[in-house]
Amino acid sequence: MPDALLEVQDLRVHFRTQDGLVKAVDGVSYSLERGRTLGIVGESGSGKSVTSLAIMGLHHGSSAQISGHIRLDGEELVGAPPARVRELRGDKMAMIFQDPLSSLHPYFPVGAQIVEAYRVHHPDATKKQARQRAVDMLGRVGIPEPAVRVDDYPHQFSGGMRQRVMIAMALCNDPGLLIADEPTTALDVTVQAQILDLISDLQAEFGSAVVIITHDLGVVAELSDDILVMYAGRVVEYGSAASIFAHPGHPYTWGLLASMPRMDRERLTRLVPIPGTPPSLIRVPPGCPFHPRCRYGHLNGGRSETEVPELRAAEGTGHLVACHLTAAERTKQWALLSAGQVPDDVKETVPQGGVEA
Amino acid sequence: MRRRRLYGLAAFGAAAALTLAACSSSGSSSSSSGGNTSGAGSAPAFNSGVTSVVNPSTHKGGTLTFDWRAAPDSFDPGNTYYAAVWNFARFYSTALMTFKNCPGSCGKTLVPALATAPGVASDNGLTWTYHIKSGVKYQDGTPVTSKDVKYAIERTFDRGVLPNGPNYFANLLGGNAKTYPGPYKDRAKNLMGLTAIDTPDATTVVFHLKAPFSDMDYLLTIPQSAPVPPDKDTGASYQTHIVSTGPYKFESYQLNKAAVLVPNTEWNASQFPTVSQLPSKLVVNMNMNPNDVDNRLLAGDAQVDFAGTGVQAAARAKILSNPTLKAQSDAPITGFGWFFYIDSQVAPFTNLACRQAIQYAANHLTLQNAYGGPVAGGAIGSTVMPPTVAGYQNFDLYEATTKTQGDPAKAKQLLQTCGQPNGFSTGIAYRSDRPTETQGAQALQQALSAVGIKTTLHGYPSATYFTNFAGVPKYMSSHNIGIAFGGWGADWPDGYGFLSQLVSGPSIVPAGNTNIGMLNDPVVNDLFTKAAGITDEAQRNAIWGQIDRQVMKDSVIVPIVYAKALIYRPPSLTNVYFNQAYQLNNYAVQGLTGG
Amino acid sequence: MVTFIIRRLIGTIFLLIVVSMITFAIFFLIPRLAGQNTYQLAAQYVGRNPTRDAILQVERQLGLADPLYLQYGRFLRGIVFGAHYRTGPTDTYCPPPCFGYSFRSQLPVWPQMISSVPVTLSLAIGASVLWLIGGVSIGVLSALRRGTLFDRFSMAVALAGVSLPIFFTGLVALELFSYKWPIFPNVQYVPFTDNPLLWARNLVLPWLVLAFLYAALYARLTRAGMLETMSEDYIRTARAKGLPERRVIFKHGLRAALTPIVTIFGMDLGLLLGGAIITEVTFSLHGLGLFTVQAINNQDLPEILGVTMLAAFFIVIANLVVDIFYAVLDPRVRF
Repeated sequence: MPDALLEVQDLRVHFRTQDGLVKAVDGVSYSLERGRTLGIVGESGSGKSVTSLAIMGLHHGSSAQISGHIRLDGEELVGAPPARVRELRGDKMAMIFQDPLSSLHPYFPVGAQIVEAYRVHHPDATKKQARQRAVDMLGRVGIPEPAVRVDDYPHQFSGGMRQRVMIAMALCNDPGLLIADEPTTALDVTVQAQILDLISDLQAEFGSAVVIITHDLGVVAELSDDILVMYAGRVVEYGSAASIFAHPGHPYTWGLLASMPRMDRERLTRLVPIPGTPPSLIRVPPGCPFHPRCRYGHLNGGRSETEVPELRAAEGTGHLVACHLTAAERTKQWALLSAGQVPDDVKETVPQGGVEA
Repeated sequence: MRRRRLYGLAAFGAAAALTLAACSSSGSSSSSSGGNTSGAGSAPAFNSGVTSVVNPSTHKGGTLTFDWRAAPDSFDPGNTYYAAVWNFARFYSTALMTFKNCPGSCGKTLVPALATAPGVASDNGLTWTYHIKSGVKYQDGTPVTSKDVKYAIERTFDRGVLPNGPNYFANLLGGNAKTYPGPYKDRAKNLMGLTAIDTPDATTVVFHLKAPFSDMDYLLTIPQSAPVPPDKDTGASYQTHIVSTGPYKFESYQLNKAAVLVPNTEWNASQFPTVSQLPSKLVVNMNMNPNDVDNRLLAGDAQVDFAGTGVQAAARAKILSNPTLKAQSDAPITGFGWFFYIDSQVAPFTNLACRQAIQYAANHLTLQNAYGGPVAGGAIGSTVMPPTVAGYQNFDLYEATTKTQGDPAKAKQLLQTCGQPNGFSTGIAYRSDRPTETQGAQALQQALSAVGIKTTLHGYPSATYFTNFAGVPKYMSSHNIGIAFGGWGADWPDGYGFLSQLVSGPSIVPAGNTNIGMLNDPVVNDLFTKAAGITDEAQRNAIWGQIDRQVMKDSVIVPIVYAKALIYRPPSLTNVYFNQAYQLNNYAVQGLTGG
Repeated sequence: MVTFIIRRLIGTIFLLIVVSMITFAIFFLIPRLAGQNTYQLAAQYVGRNPTRDAILQVERQLGLADPLYLQYGRFLRGIVFGAHYRTGPTDTYCPPPCFGYSFRSQLPVWPQMISSVPVTLSLAIGASVLWLIGGVSIGVLSALRRGTLFDRFSMAVALAGVSLPIFFTGLVALELFSYKWPIFPNVQYVPFTDNPLLWARNLVLPWLVLAFLYAALYARLTRAGMLETMSEDYIRTARAKGLPERRVIFKHGLRAALTPIVTIFGMDLGLLLGGAIITEVTFSLHGLGLFTVQAINNQDLPEILGVTMLAAFFIVIANLVVDIFYAVLDPRVRF
């Protein structure tokens, strides 16, 4: 395997709060090479953003307890001095966020903000050089008349343009790793496509590794080489995008796929949502964390309630799944589900509204 | 009566200052040592300044600082009615007459100032002639003539320009005084146009009166008679550049803020023994916080409280509890009387017996306490005139000093006599920004309710008390207010000065009235007329006593206390003593120790 | 921007006219409702026991006998054109803006008012510098050290500062630092042009007392503002760029949190310029506040009108400056 730019090994991020220990991330592992895109998928509270913030070292100062390993280009970040992580932040690894209007400082022109990002990591650059860089980046991300608009304020841009600005700012130092946290969620659908194309183009151009965090499988389908599905702070499925879409292995993933409206199904087929609500991360359900919402849990003879499933290669899928279902059962249920049918023995066993954790 | 301004804000600071006063150490905080320089042997003690001169000294130099909680109505000698300003004005103006510089009742003696001698009456008391000293100069070297005295009095006739001073001249002078418009309107015609005053030569002034008035010498102690040069008179703005004939002249004057006076080199000390020129500078700070004034006096940052009516409650507690400080203070009888009126036009007080019932119903002890008790408030009064006024007689018609808690039984009897056996209702007016009157009104209300008289309290602000409420007879009758609190200090220290505007019939006016008892007793009015014609002082004083007695019989005034004031004298102040004429310490002779 | 300013200035003139009308009305109507007539009003400006003639003369001199609209018209004319007053042997001319002559002293109001302004200005500006620096610093520190002993202690002291009235803290300050321990003896205002050192020294106590009150307020405001700002998304972005924490706090955080603080400051300063009444009375400082108290105690209409309009003017100008400043600070609010 070529050298991974980013290696995450058994990462745990726990927060000590007045109500108890919040296990936001509880054993996440993955690796990512240059030039490849990883899509991290999950509901709110699954831990996907927390993972990325941990990589960036943005939990410093809060009550987070981080353990495990994060290696960026071979350098260990967990436990590294905060000053070192700060050097890397914005330079070797960069992040863009969901709402570009609130994520850009309203008081400074966009050019100034890009210049700032550039000069903190290139202290020898002159103002003129930095400004030229900013203009170049704005041009690269497709902002028309960049030399003029470099002095405009964030509120003078449309939503899509603003996100381009954020991308320009993130990439101005040629980071090897770009993390995009829900980059299109706040944007119109038409603009979404443009942004995703942009990210894809820039990745090809710069050769950077991209982590794209989203709850939208459509976004993931378009961009990702690999997909990581997270639930309750844990990885439930991990593999290449092609593999996961072709043979999804985990009931949660099935739920995500089934609850999506799809063009290749009959119009009158009902959407099958995932019943229940995400669990509390303080009192994670014992055994499989998904079991309170899983239709198929009873098919495992009680193992789901007591035993945490390991993430391991699942037969017939070609990638890693953390589930107790047998391969046969899995194949059968998925075939039924993807045809739009739900067998009697698994219908409505889960009360709507979910289980109180 | 001369005005005394009390700043209501004292109430705000009293609470805080009181707690601090209780906590602060009792060490003396004044800067210089308390010793005398030259002169008297015994060290000054409490009340030394009432009867003797404290720290007698001829030492010159230093800055004498006066702190004042208010500001003058005007420093213009022709336009002021404040006792403190009349006292201070002797530093820069010279009236025809003044009072002798000695403590005790000696200080009521009239002595000439600008005049060479007291006035000579002729023409059955209708004409008075004065001669002024020759060689007197203004601060710019120009000589003072008799015309300047006439002009000074003429200018007070134009109330549109100079509204503040007393009205005596307009009321007493003859000739065309009734219609004279003052020397400002139509100046060419009216300058020197007052026929009631003649100036036959440069040093003679002759007054022609409407009717005999034996108190002429007293009248001419008022600074309105101090000379003003007509060509330098700018009317309302004269107060900002007064031309001085006294030992000091104004160096600077920021209206309502501060004034600085420096010695007048043209002043001739040998001509005027009644004023001194000891300090090398006089400073008056105005509109100060009253508690701050006391603190600054105690700390030595200032030497005189200009208002002169005593320290505030907080400082009083500090001084009386500290033997060192107490020895540096005096509590003289000021010559001011606190009392309440009974309006004889408001039923049922039209009936004499009902009015007399109040004299017995009032609890003099609780009233005295409301005013500060025997030390700070004063002794219980039984006469209208306080003991320091010439003409005072000691009598007690209603046993106020013997039955100090009143005599409810006797009061009820009198109520029977006047036809109100079950009592009645009436109102009590008082000045709500004066804590003493507020508490006094409450004390009176309690005492009266014990004999069945139900009262409602009506508080009014001081500024408009006489002009809009208690001093408006129609208002009192229409609101059924039969009792009003008040006080009085004489314009000059004899019976006329004290009583005339309180109890004489002709003094009743529709607004700004001070004869709130609405007394129009022919006996009293005749006695006033009679006294005006008597030139012999002893005879005159006897008549004032008779008037007082008659007024008490008519029972339109119920005396409360003969006021005392606790005055602090810093040890650095020299020649300090209380003057009964001005009812203040004598400012004109004060100086500083060198230390 | 220029049209905006011009429009606001014209609005200011109208506002001042309205303020003057209301003040005029209050001064005359309310006593009238209580049954007072102008004869009684004139009696307040004459010495005790005046003759009827004397009162009538004063009534005429002060113009009280004229109908209200005539008096008001005269007042407006005086502001624009100046006025002539009969004050003695010759009439004097009072140049515009003429706020008339004081009922009580028969001297022009404008010079008296203007000479009070430097005192209030000294007091207000000195105190405001102190409270801005002090209050904001403590607020920032408290926000950054939220929940610590420093935070709790400083917010408790701030609560005291906001709750204790100036006539208490001022008197305590005087008692302790001027009289008991003569660190600041003989506290009297000295003009800056006379002796800058003495000017400052004698103003230290009033500055501290006034600043204490406001610093407390500003500390709490800044703390709240900082806490809110530091939880904004753009702070996270700034950190994500790798900026040093100090720059994140001050350039990105404080700058944004300060915008509302600065605008409030403008308003507070404007109000204070109209006269810090309680402080001036407590410390016997002859500024506009003390002037106001005198004017009201003396029921002196020209003085009351003058000081009310001057105070209103300061507030309106402060409002205008604040609005302009806000646009300068916050690009989202530009025209």
